[in-house]
Amino acid sequence: MTKLLQWLLGVGLLLGTWACLVWDLVPAQLTPQWKEVVWVAPMYLLMSFACYSLATIGYRVATFNDCEDAAKELQQEIEEARRDLAKKGLKLS
Amino acid sequence: MATGSDQAVGMAMVALSALIFTYYTVWAVVLPFVDDDHIVHQYFLPRPYAVIIPTVAGVVALSAIGSFFGYVMLQDKMKKKTK
Repeated sequence: MTKLLQWLLGVGLLLGTWACLVWDLVPAQLTPQWKEVVWVAPMYLLMSFACYSLATIGYRVATFNDCEDAAKELQQEIEEARRDLAKKGLKLS
Repeated sequence: MATGSDQAVGMAMVALSALIFTYYTVWAVVLPFVDDDHIVHQYFLPRPYAVIIPTVAGVVALSAIGSFFGYVMLQDKMKKKTK
């Protein structure tokens, strides 16, 4: 079974459970407060995932290892290559 | 370590996501169990907005991404035509 099918199966199972609980298709006795929580559950999971993604990206941006020396060296090498190629007749934008 | 402004932006994103997560968790999961006459309810919009606002934001975000993508594709096509 492919990964896509696995994910779709998992999501389908979760949504099915949610639908059964929210539209009273199963004889489950949920207090009105829990019913409220279940009703919002899919959106809540989506929002949590979005917040987690944002936090991960932000954290990785903040802790990224800049190598200033390597960057300067790279710029110099680019300039050298550009001059070299220009001598040989290649035009770079 | 990342340069100063990168660190600031990164940490701001982490803080923002923590804020959004906490607010939304309280709104969606905690509030139903709080008595209706508690003052904390005045800090939160009516419950249906907990679904409407993320949906609208998602639609707006997807439209923005889609139009940016379409714009870039069109630019590329125009450039290829004039070459």
